[in-house]
Amino acid sequence: MATLFWVMTCGGALIWAGTVAVLLYAVRRRTLYSEPAASRLIFWAGAVFPAITLILLLGYALWLMPSLRPLAQPGAPTLRIEVTGRQYWWRVIYRQPGTPPVVSANEIRLPVGERVEFTLKSDDVIHSFWIPALGGKMDMIPGRENRLSLRATKPGTFRGPCTEFCGTSHALMAFSAVAMEPAEFRQWLAGQHVPSAGATGTGARLFIRHGCGACHAVAGTEATGMLGPDLSHLGSRETLGAGILPNSQDNIARFIAEPDVIKPGVQMPGFDMLPPDDIEAIASWLKGLK
Amino acid sequence: MHVDWKHIAIALAILPVAALLFAWIGFFNVGASSGHWKITDWFLHFAMRSAVRTYALSVDVPEKLPHHTLQPAAGHFARGCAICHGAPGEPRSPAVLRMLPQPPALAERVGEWNDAELFRIVKHGIRFTGMPAWPSQARDDEVWAMVAFLRDLPAMDERTYRDLAYGDPADPALHPVDFGQSLAECVRCHAADGLGRSAATPILAGQSEAYLIQSLRAYAEGRRQSGVMALPATAVDAALLRDLAQHFAALPSRKPDRIHHDPALMRRGEEVARIGIPAAKVPACLGCHGGRERNPLYPRIAGQPAEYIAVQLDLFRHGKRGGTEFSHLMTDAAKGLSDTDIAALAAYFSTLRQAPATGAP
Repeated sequence: MATLFWVMTCGGALIWAGTVAVLLYAVRRRTLYSEPAASRLIFWAGAVFPAITLILLLGYALWLMPSLRPLAQPGAPTLRIEVTGRQYWWRVIYRQPGTPPVVSANEIRLPVGERVEFTLKSDDVIHSFWIPALGGKMDMIPGRENRLSLRATKPGTFRGPCTEFCGTSHALMAFSAVAMEPAEFRQWLAGQHVPSAGATGTGARLFIRHGCGACHAVAGTEATGMLGPDLSHLGSRETLGAGILPNSQDNIARFIAEPDVIKPGVQMPGFDMLPPDDIEAIASWLKGLK
Repeated sequence: MHVDWKHIAIALAILPVAALLFAWIGFFNVGASSGHWKITDWFLHFAMRSAVRTYALSVDVPEKLPHHTLQPAAGHFARGCAICHGAPGEPRSPAVLRMLPQPPALAERVGEWNDAELFRIVKHGIRFTGMPAWPSQARDDEVWAMVAFLRDLPAMDERTYRDLAYGDPADPALHPVDFGQSLAECVRCHAADGLGRSAATPILAGQSEAYLIQSLRAYAEGRRQSGVMALPATAVDAALLRDLAQHFAALPSRKPDRIHHDPALMRRGEEVARIGIPAAKVPACLGCHGGRERNPLYPRIAGQPAEYIAVQLDLFRHGKRGGTEFSHLMTDAAKGLSDTDIAALAAYFSTLRQAPATGAP
């Protein structure tokens, strides 16, 4: 991208300078050119030169293209991340050949320096996926699968907002993209394959008892719901409620009690009728699911 | 004398003042003893019949009247209607007979109306007559049950009526005061064994006590809509509700003997119960209603009558079903259910003995 920008800027500046120079020369000159000489100038400078420039630019653009189209390359990327937009959160599924998929939500981790192919879907309305620091945006359209290929060049956490108005809480729908060193990333992904060490105990029992498992899944428990975000490793995520709150026990408890206040129009019903102690116990347990 | 438009205008301006004066003086007799003038009587009935006929045009009559819910309708009739309209073997009080207008003896007069007109009258009542509206405007299913009962009423003998309305014991106290009398009021429809006397009546035996008590309170306070349950839930002393809930919760539940003969429907029901319908944002029923160690405010629905489950889901789906402080969860959960889904879930849960946990079978 940067090279293309500099090539375009410098080339454009050179041509512009040349045109201005010719213009100044024409203004200062007293005698007129003959008609055939003028026609020759128009032919060479007005038709042949632009045609050659444009053909060169087109060639250059086509030469740049293949790296943007990894599907055409031999050796497709080994990591595919499927992101599904829902009102108002993101389901994230990591797919690698030979291993079972890893389901997560609202946070995308990717290895630095490796090309990652995103499959973008939507379950309800049109959303749009965009990590401005890594590349262009791509719509998520119900009934379609859009592909996007991204490569992070340095480690860091980048914000990704939903960029297509999708309802009341559109502005409260975001995610973080965490680019990690490849070795660190593999280690993290391997950890996601196994249930969190804290997936048992009182919190787990209350979570099941109050029916949270009808919508949420937590690996290693009876909870297998598919409506809401997978919470198997919620404690290790940086944010809560799809990129809108810091992930703290208090915020988890608040979200359980009054999700519609934090996020108007959210699908999750409020559970403020639960005993406060139960909410605290569930929040503390969820925070511990690393 | 020449009458021109000015005289007419003055007369029209005076008229309302004169009418007000006439009413204020109080010469007009509003006593019921002397009855209406013939012309007033004719006009009021004419207006009433016309209005019922016209408003009944917008009523959607079901293909078949719900005759399987005759029993609860009869039970409600005995408490809500019979006092004014009489019932087989129950002549009306002389006090009622001096009402103006006199409530019709229904067995003789019900044939004058078609089903839609009866529905209209039972649901909305009639102004200026003492005929009340149905206690809950959210329960058309109950109103249709009453219409079905009214259709059967003219041919009903005393024994059939008393069995439907009171069961055994044959005549519970009209105003229950102690636990025994209150229980007798419940048992008229829910049966002594708590298994219910009709296909639409939920099985209370073995139901969670916490759920029963909160539901009874919700009925009494109007948070759970039902014209039929509103009467007993308020007639019984509020302090006794807990004892009643305890009593029914302690009764042994029964192994369901209903076998459903549509395997495809059963499979669909099991699928929705176990994994929900993610595309329609319907969660897995068994997440709350299955497994062991669930919140006792989530009712046990395994083995409940299919008809009861279907009606409740339909009410939830349309936002017409309150109840415990958890009932809003079901309003959200049921929104995406189709008619087929509801039939499938009703078939599945009604044949279930014990609800399993979520997940693939």
